[in-house]
Amino acid sequence: MFKRMITESRIKSPWLLHYDCGSCNGCDIEVLACLTPVYDIERFGIVNVGNPMHADILLVTGTVNHRNKKVLVNLYDQMPHPKVVVAIGSCGLSGGIFREAYNVVGGVDKVIPVDVYVPGCPAKPEAIIDGVVIGLQKFHEKM
Amino acid sequence: MVTNEWNIVIVEELVFVLIVLPFLAAICSYLIRSGAVRSFIVLATGSLMAASALLLIPRVPFAFSPKALFGVGVHDIILAADFFLLFLILYFGFKHHSLVIKILALFQIVLMAYLEFFLIRDDAAFLTIYCDNLTLIMVLIISIVGSIICVQAIPYMKNYEEHLDLKKSRQHRFFFVMILFLGAMNGLVLSNDMVFFYFFFEVTTLCSFLLIAHDGTETAIKNAVRALWMNSLGGAAFIVALVLIYKEMGALDMQRIVHTSPAAGLCLLALALLCFAAFTKAAQFPFQGWLLGAMVAPTPVSALLHSSTMVKVGVYLVLRLAPAMNGTFLSQCVALFGGFTFLAAAALAVGQSNGKKVLAYSTISNLGLIFACAGLNIPEAITAAILLVIFHAVIKALLFLCVGTIEQHIESRDIEDMRGLYAQMPLTALTTVMGVIMMIMPPFGVLLGKWMAMEAAARNLYVIIMIALGSALTVMYWARWAGTLMSDPFAGRFRPERQPLLTWAALASLCAGGGVLSIAAPWLYSRMIIPALNGNYVPPYTVHVGILENSFGVFPVLPLCLVAALGFVISIWAVRRAARARIIAPYLSGLQTAEPGVFRGPMNRLVKAEARNYYLSSIFGEERLTTWINLGAAVLLTLLVGGAL
Amino acid sequence: MINTCALILAGLVAAPLAGGLVNGLDRILTARFQARVGPPVVQPFYDVVKLLGKEKTVVNVWQAFCAYCYLAATAISVVLFFLQSDLLLILFIQAVGAVFLVIGALSSTSPYSQVGAQRELLQILSYEPLLVLVTVGIYLETGSFKIGQVYAWDEPLLLKLPFLFVVLGYALTIKLRKSPFDLSTSHHGHQELVKGLLTDYSGPFLALTEIGHWFEVVLILGLCSLFWATSWIGMIIIVATTYFLEIVIDNVSARMNWRWMLGYVWAMGLTLSVVNLVWLYVR
Repeated sequence: MFKRMITESRIKSPWLLHYDCGSCNGCDIEVLACLTPVYDIERFGIVNVGNPMHADILLVTGTVNHRNKKVLVNLYDQMPHPKVVVAIGSCGLSGGIFREAYNVVGGVDKVIPVDVYVPGCPAKPEAIIDGVVIGLQKFHEKM
Repeated sequence: MVTNEWNIVIVEELVFVLIVLPFLAAICSYLIRSGAVRSFIVLATGSLMAASALLLIPRVPFAFSPKALFGVGVHDIILAADFFLLFLILYFGFKHHSLVIKILALFQIVLMAYLEFFLIRDDAAFLTIYCDNLTLIMVLIISIVGSIICVQAIPYMKNYEEHLDLKKSRQHRFFFVMILFLGAMNGLVLSNDMVFFYFFFEVTTLCSFLLIAHDGTETAIKNAVRALWMNSLGGAAFIVALVLIYKEMGALDMQRIVHTSPAAGLCLLALALLCFAAFTKAAQFPFQGWLLGAMVAPTPVSALLHSSTMVKVGVYLVLRLAPAMNGTFLSQCVALFGGFTFLAAAALAVGQSNGKKVLAYSTISNLGLIFACAGLNIPEAITAAILLVIFHAVIKALLFLCVGTIEQHIESRDIEDMRGLYAQMPLTALTTVMGVIMMIMPPFGVLLGKWMAMEAAARNLYVIIMIALGSALTVMYWARWAGTLMSDPFAGRFRPERQPLLTWAALASLCAGGGVLSIAAPWLYSRMIIPALNGNYVPPYTVHVGILENSFGVFPVLPLCLVAALGFVISIWAVRRAARARIIAPYLSGLQTAEPGVFRGPMNRLVKAEARNYYLSSIFGEERLTTWINLGAAVLLTLLVGGAL
Repeated sequence: MINTCALILAGLVAAPLAGGLVNGLDRILTARFQARVGPPVVQPFYDVVKLLGKEKTVVNVWQAFCAYCYLAATAISVVLFFLQSDLLLILFIQAVGAVFLVIGALSSTSPYSQVGAQRELLQILSYEPLLVLVTVGIYLETGSFKIGQVYAWDEPLLLKLPFLFVVLGYALTIKLRKSPFDLSTSHHGHQELVKGLLTDYSGPFLALTEIGHWFEVVLILGLCSLFWATSWIGMIIIVATTYFLEIVIDNVSARMNWRWMLGYVWAMGLTLSVVNLVWLYVR
């Protein structure tokens, strides 16, 4: 019963960490838009905590480059299990139009395991919320 | 009163062990310059004194007049020694070219001669040694805590001199004064004859001078001279008070003074001067300089001065005289002055990062609180004062010994240098944290005392405001220190560091003592403190299954201790489980590297992340506050003495 | 005996539940002020249960110790409140919890925790004396520090201690870390302080601090209720109004720095307390 309560609570209370790897800020603005009264994701208990120690879901926007890949790994390591990674936008998925640049590693999944991919340039707020919801279902699988 | 003759013999022997034996032992340890013999003498004297003090418990109250010591009249011995002492102080005044000391010593010699040769007639007969429960509590503190400090000094001084690379050991001198100090303290609290009291008072002054000057460096001498003149000032006030009292009452009988209220003709000015003398001894503002300067001495000296001896002379004297002051303006002034010192010293402690200075200011602050309680002069407050005396002695000794041990290891006494000390010396760090916790948290004794003090002060607007502000500041400087000691990224296995056995023994006994006494506080109250009130005050609290209660307050000591112990066990269990958890690096914005506390900065360079405690020196700095605080204290002292005129 | 056990149980079980619900209401009201809908009222419970079920990670084992001690101290203070014990003692025990939270934060080397801990100490420094003076005022009026006798007093304390109630309001805002006094843990984790004091507490240990916070909320509302203890309705009204005002203040003000907090709160709080206490002394 406790296990069920905990799983239920996990789905009801996803806390986000949003990390901008090197995005053009397009996706970041869309992520923040989710917090505005129009979308009000706090309805679903979602809180942007800005601290890996407290987070359940890691939202990553932008391309991963050689400098910030260590940061991304560090943040991922500091998150307690169970955790879900959502890559957002073309850049986060594959490196986008910067893929061929000399300093770019590529998509987020080159560095840490990604659970959900949200495409778009930039991704729409609805799509991001949808991505998070799909991420929540992954918690069931991760039990 | 004990009537049985056999009992009196025992009591006389015990008092002999408590007062005279230390003097003899001190001389032995001075003459026999062998480390092993000296250690044995210190250990043996310490245990004997502690045992005698314990044996005294069932035999109080008692009083007697020793007629002769080794065939010479006790009074003559004291008199001769007293003049010898005053001339010695005069000699030090000449040696160190201090005009103030010369003047004060001469002044005291003249007054002493006047008092002894012109005033005092031998027909005033009273008992010279008197011991009630208040005295007994002091004797226990001095003999047990003081002895523990001396025992810890054995390994400490060995290490200390090895470190200094001295060609010739000066330890014989050091232990001579340390043991002498304990004997003098016992003599002081057991004296009923004020002349005896004055003699021992001066012995402690001289001992502290010698101990502070022990290292012989320029600063040491300077600070020692300051201690000597400040305490001589107290001595001068004391002897003036003696002359006044003798003229008034025709006897220097402490018990008679206590039982004579100013309304019944006791000179209020004499009491005020005695309070003044007490304040200098207890290093209250504006005389804090000598206690702060005493830090230059080896740490056992600080521990001794701060916890069980010297400063406790001041509070003992005022507590002893409290019934005589009851209901006077003087008493109110003492309360105000104590409250002010409590607040001011706590504020100054917040601004310090030097660990020993924090301890010094905390001592001054706590003594201020005790004075405030004595000045409030109601049963709850006096109970609080006695409790605070006991617990402050034990825990302050513990903390000083901890800091001494830490200082020898890391060669610094700065709190910032103790950051993460747990990684280097886990057991000492934990003991220090334990000491801090016993200082600021219920259900431990200091807080029990503070709780009583606050509830007693509630009817005095000025005092309660100062105590309220002061205790918040107190929490701040202690909590900061405890946290800093544990500030450590490493979380491996617990491996106690290596220390001499005697050091561990001293730390462990004081730490355990603080804890056990806290649990036993209700027993302590009903068995020791109620008798110590001597019928001058109505016992303020009722004790019922370890719950202290009066008409307006309740402190469930025993239940709280049980719950706290349960919480402690659970929390320790949590620590053991957490040790198996995944250890992650502290948050450094994701930039942390494999090395703890280091992040990757611009240009790929490694940067150490550093955070310091807030010392708020722009508000609580010494240079900013000291002048004003001294000024305030001087105004209050003027009020205190002037009001008595 | 049964009565005592029931009260202890109420303190241990009902109090955190009530505290959690109050927190949920707080979040809904705050959302409404911002033209949002907000989470369900039981959201705080979801959060805590989730945190309890997460992996244990620590930066320093002593953080676990401190989290447990914090929870224990807050729980004991609430239980003592329910047992109608001594007000001053309850304040002391509540301070124990606050101090352990600080020591736990200091045991991490992260500058965010360190700065948060220092600021929390300044917050304690700001509100502790005020709370003591409020209890002194209550004592002067009712003649007792025992809560039982305070509740039995036949006149609402608010009429005699209006200024001290305002002072209590200051202390509450600081204690609950509401704006403008959310110095030690910022409301929003993505600010310069991250989560300050709580940054390095994670998973189950964060949950413990959250439950401890619920106890604190109950204790604080209990203190408010003392000011109109003559009727249940008065009690509910005064508690509800106070908490509502707290939320309004929280939403309309920005965070200030500690210098302002210490200066302003001590100046205002002490002045108001002294005025009110002098009334009681001269009476």
